[in-house]
Amino acid sequence: MRLALAVASIIVFVVHVVVFYDQFFHRWERHQTAYFEQARTQATNDAEAEELARRGPQIEQIIVTQFGESQVDRCVTCHIAVDDPRFTEHFHPLKTHPYSESLGDLQVEGRWERRHKFSDFGCTICHDGQGRGLEEHYSHGDDHYWPMPLLGYVVHENWNENYKDKLLGTDYMQVKCAQCHTDEGFAGTPHVSRGRELFFKKSCYGCHRIEGLSESTLGPDLTEIGKEFSLEYLWESIDEPRANLATSFMPKFNMTDDEVKSLVIFLKSRRGKNYTETQLDLYRARLEVGDEQDVAEGDAALAEAEDPVAVGERLISERACTACHKLDSVDGKVAPDLSFEGLVRSNDWLMQHFINPRTVVSDSIMPTFRWDHSDFEAMTAYLESRTEAPQVADAAASYREFCARCHGEQGAGDGPIMLYLDPAPRDLTKASFMNSKPMERFKESIRYGVAGTSMPPWEKVLDEQQIDDLLEYVFATFVDQPRRELRERSIPENNPVAMGPESVARGESTYLLRCTGCHGLKADGKGPNSPDIVPRPRNLRNSHFINSVSDRRLLESILYGVQGTAMPPWIDYGLSQNDVGDLLNYIRSLNKGRE
Amino acid sequence: MSKKGLEELSEQGQSSRRRFLFWLSSALLAGSGLISAVSNLVFMRPRATYGQPSRFAIGRPAEFPVGTRISMNVEKVCVVREEAGLAAISIKCTHLGCTVGVSETGFACPCHGSRFDQDGNVIGGPAPQALPWYKLTLAPNGDLEVDKSVTIEQGTYFGV
Repeated sequence: MRLALAVASIIVFVVHVVVFYDQFFHRWERHQTAYFEQARTQATNDAEAEELARRGPQIEQIIVTQFGESQVDRCVTCHIAVDDPRFTEHFHPLKTHPYSESLGDLQVEGRWERRHKFSDFGCTICHDGQGRGLEEHYSHGDDHYWPMPLLGYVVHENWNENYKDKLLGTDYMQVKCAQCHTDEGFAGTPHVSRGRELFFKKSCYGCHRIEGLSESTLGPDLTEIGKEFSLEYLWESIDEPRANLATSFMPKFNMTDDEVKSLVIFLKSRRGKNYTETQLDLYRARLEVGDEQDVAEGDAALAEAEDPVAVGERLISERACTACHKLDSVDGKVAPDLSFEGLVRSNDWLMQHFINPRTVVSDSIMPTFRWDHSDFEAMTAYLESRTEAPQVADAAASYREFCARCHGEQGAGDGPIMLYLDPAPRDLTKASFMNSKPMERFKESIRYGVAGTSMPPWEKVLDEQQIDDLLEYVFATFVDQPRRELRERSIPENNPVAMGPESVARGESTYLLRCTGCHGLKADGKGPNSPDIVPRPRNLRNSHFINSVSDRRLLESILYGVQGTAMPPWIDYGLSQNDVGDLLNYIRSLNKGRE
Repeated sequence: MSKKGLEELSEQGQSSRRRFLFWLSSALLAGSGLISAVSNLVFMRPRATYGQPSRFAIGRPAEFPVGTRISMNVEKVCVVREEAGLAAISIKCTHLGCTVGVSETGFACPCHGSRFDQDGNVIGGPAPQALPWYKLTLAPNGDLEVDKSVTIEQGTYFGV
């Protein structure tokens, strides 16, 4: 017992000594003592030496109140010589903060005078890091996942090896300069200005919102991105968009390291509000500037070259359309091929699609770009000017050239851009579907395209013979069951029930009872069951599609189901032809007068 | 040695070991108690507070030409420049701590009407003491520094 007590008391004593040492003997005390000693030897008069002798180690701090929330910077506790010009040759932490004319410091009568005095600005206003920390680990932000370590000075251990070296250097401090110096083109922050330019030039603004700069909601809001993520995360997200989110459809922009650096610095400087202006001021100012810039750009583009085709070509390459789309050999692997877009689509369609993609393809993810009308005309003109149909040797070659990008190499509807298309491309290997539809329907889909979807009309590229060959190839290669004779069904050509408010009301009640599980309460094809169903239920408010389909086809799909999909034959579940007629009137009424 | 002798000896050894362990434990526990008592006493006084630091720079001496009397409301000092030199006089009223204003004759407190002359001596009102003068030093970078933790005698100007 006594032995146990003795051991326990040894442990208690050791713990007490360790805690005592940890709490009362600090590294900063040693730094300060060293500073006082060295400064005393350099003192020029007795008063100064006496003053230094009087000062003992203590926590030094700068409290800055003029930039919003008051900020406590204790950095000078260790870096006690920052403002003592005699210590320029010393090592950290006893080193004078460098003087620099680029920061606005002035030499007056042989003595440097700082533009940004430490007593007014503190340290973290420029450097980031944690001002209250008294240990290097905390104050410099070596802490593994903290998003704001000392800018350009500290890299975390867990940061990606490929980016670590690129994230060092004083350039990164422009992030904090830009918190006050918000004027565009400020000479001290070239990377921020360039990053802002790239944000527009590379069409980032098409998907991302930054308050006062852009309004898109397709990608994450970047207004406060600088507060939330580290430099490494930003760099990685630009360099390899899927590194953190496997389902991200952000394209790889293949920028140079220097461009990425500017963008990272610009993004890191987005912190919601800055120190000098209120958020509302900034918002108003930017909105006005943005408008002028757009108009000016459009005018300049027209004045520069008469030829809209050349202007369009330049705009399409400048605005990084190929970050998503394919054009000749450049492929963004997100959106459809533009190489024959001018050939397959009409002038009107292209214009409407530029102005707002969702007016022609209801569920398109393409952002609405707010460019000048003349820019859209030039881009349309350029696409229209590409009228040369590509030469293909046989059906297999034309499948690879025109179809595989969406429908996939093996025809399974899983081409490289399949994820980004809504409705998804048809799975051509699904024999039950392929064998339940008349050949004429497939021909029509190829010849005239499918309205309201990304399937374009190919009639100007493929002639009748080529379409027949292509279908033969598809059936022979992908559909592994022989085609059967289609059963004759007696379905009226037109809706047997007259359109009218009563019929629509009856149709609506049937719809709410039977159809919302998959097609959704809003009839947008996003009902609660829809995520589990492949292919996804049809969006019944896709007016271009619904208005292009005959009554007969809709009646057949509802009454007898769609083989190879989750749509059941409703005639087996108690719906009569007249019930389906009401339903049809309801669906038509949703899309009436909408184009 | 007899068997009994051996037993006695081992008993003696046992008791001296017991005594040693007793004293060791007592000493260590007492030491731990002492250390914690000292730590607790030291922790009574905060090492840093969130008030403005007592040493702060106010700028170059050249920024204060002769005749200047500038009140710094955040730091609560008035910087005075006379022919004789510079001085930093507190502008915190010695009565209840209001910030006194600089008036033609010296300082006047808006709260209870205390009045001070140009050197900070009480000339009226409830203030019990004169306004203290703080020590001024010249930092190595050429800035003037006020140290509010050291008061100096009235009328000692800092020569420039």
